[in-house]
Amino acid sequence: MSSAVITVRDLRKTYRYANRRGGFFGAIGGAFSPSYKLIDAVDGISFEIAAGERVAIIGPNGAGKSTTLKMLSGILEPTSGEARVFDLVPWRQRKALAYRIGVVFGQRSQLWGELPARDSFALLGHIYDQRGAAFDKRLAELIERFDLASLMGQPVQRLSLGQRMRCEITASLLHAPSLLFLDEPTIGLDITAKAAIRDFITQNAREEGQTVVLTSHDTRDIELVCDRVIVINQGRIVVDQPTDQLRRQFLAHKLVTLHAPSRVVQIDLPGVTRRPSEPHLAVFEIDTRKVRVEQVIAAALDGGGIDDITIEDPPMEEVVREIYAVAHD
Amino acid sequence: MRSMPSLTIEAAAHDRFGALRSALAAVRLGAEGAMAGWPVLLGRSAFYVLLMIVLTALWNKVIAERLPGTLVAALPAGGLALYIGVTEWIGLSVPAIHLRLEDDIRSGAVETHLLRPKAYLVQRFSESLGAMLVRMTVMGMAALVLLAACGRTWPPLPALAALVVLGPLGATIGLLLFTIAGLSAFWVRRTVPAFLILQKMLFLLGGLFAPVTLYPAWLTRIALATPFAAHMYWPASLTITPSAAEMAKALAAQLIWIGLLAGVAALIWRTGLKKVLRGDL
Repeated sequence: MSSAVITVRDLRKTYRYANRRGGFFGAIGGAFSPSYKLIDAVDGISFEIAAGERVAIIGPNGAGKSTTLKMLSGILEPTSGEARVFDLVPWRQRKALAYRIGVVFGQRSQLWGELPARDSFALLGHIYDQRGAAFDKRLAELIERFDLASLMGQPVQRLSLGQRMRCEITASLLHAPSLLFLDEPTIGLDITAKAAIRDFITQNAREEGQTVVLTSHDTRDIELVCDRVIVINQGRIVVDQPTDQLRRQFLAHKLVTLHAPSRVVQIDLPGVTRRPSEPHLAVFEIDTRKVRVEQVIAAALDGGGIDDITIEDPPMEEVVREIYAVAHD
Repeated sequence: MRSMPSLTIEAAAHDRFGALRSALAAVRLGAEGAMAGWPVLLGRSAFYVLLMIVLTALWNKVIAERLPGTLVAALPAGGLALYIGVTEWIGLSVPAIHLRLEDDIRSGAVETHLLRPKAYLVQRFSESLGAMLVRMTVMGMAALVLLAACGRTWPPLPALAALVVLGPLGATIGLLLFTIAGLSAFWVRRTVPAFLILQKMLFLLGGLFAPVTLYPAWLTRIALATPFAAHMYWPASLTITPSAAEMAKALAAQLIWIGLLAGVAALIWRTGLKKVLRGDL
């Protein structure tokens, strides 16, 4: 057995979609002689993940992140290639693997909406053959760690998105998995809830020595949770490097948007570039290696006339485009 | 790394009774879910009582005519009221598992369930079974209260005993039929067409429309050979004319149909699961 928790070799997944023809006769013809379009969602990726690593798989929409996660968790068969997770072939030994992994899909719930979270947890305990004092202790630990005591009696559908996500992560950890797959765990959450979720994931992984594989569109998830980043674009790995290195190279930018309807905002500082925007807005890209965000804000506020300020990370698509460009230089 | 010996994974995986315990826990969860939705449960019971009042009045009028040569004429007084009560009791107790399955399959939520070590279909079926048992209990009590309130006599004790066994088994057959309709979502996405066909068959061959022995002989023979009769007709007819021999026959038929339908559902599930694993959903 290899020391790696996950080993992936030349993994490929090609989806086949029927080409739909227009009109009545087209539909009839299509039924008798269907034609298909092939899409390479994952196109020959290879990597290894060691025990205890926290790895982000990032990329734009349709890059192949979720497809990779589905293959590694055993719910999707690849077209070709190999993958082993804890020395198991995920799609052939799905149920055996299920005892060792926890999975959270940010856009799908694994809890029973109409029932209190504690009922879902109790059933999940049975599903994973966890019971008795050991399970009660584990659940009590997680309730304390994720501050869920006051939420346990409420139907899940009445919880806020952030509260629900804490319950989702707890549900995925009940059977003490050694490996956690998180697919967009902070999607749709506000800033405070995102921060709480990142803290929970990081703290839990550190305390239990858990391996974490995370996909996200949010660069902050990657910076704050993961120590390694795999960038995928069009089904292929573009970059695989430590987060620190990626941060220095590509995640050193912020976008500051100033809502200033009454004046034209000018900021003359190194590392600040103005981007095209609507007339009442001023959008600046800031290279945080050259200038701090608060310096830019202070310079902007000097002239007055600012109604609102937004600070954001550049969209993931831009980050990946830049990474892709540098990788192919 | 912190170890958790008490939660040893290998030991858990080899827990022989884990699947049964998990299914029973799902039955309990389904029952709790049904009880948590008590306004819906009360509404369903009220609808059931209303339906019984209207249909009983209708059939009483028919019986008053004493049409010669029909079972209606041969039934004991109040027999049809009981028959209707039992068929509707069973019919209204079966949860719409087909909609749940359709939703899981169409939305892709089924993938989330596949990440667990226990069989998805067994878990979902067990949840519905729990809800079904709660509905049967509440509506059964409503029916007995209604009978007492109307001054009608309760079925004799042997008939009630037969009903306690044959009723839930009949409803289980209905649940399996709905499950099969639900699994059609793997291919047709929407289960309404399959469900509508099933509903009409239940109405006609299950004896919801009228006792199947009222039909022409050839249609009666066909009806009795289908799972639809085992679903509703047998439990209802044995309530009004209890017989140990007939009950044994009905019980055997129900158990055979449960086995066959469970096998068919498992086969369809496995075929559908291959589609999910290939990414063809």
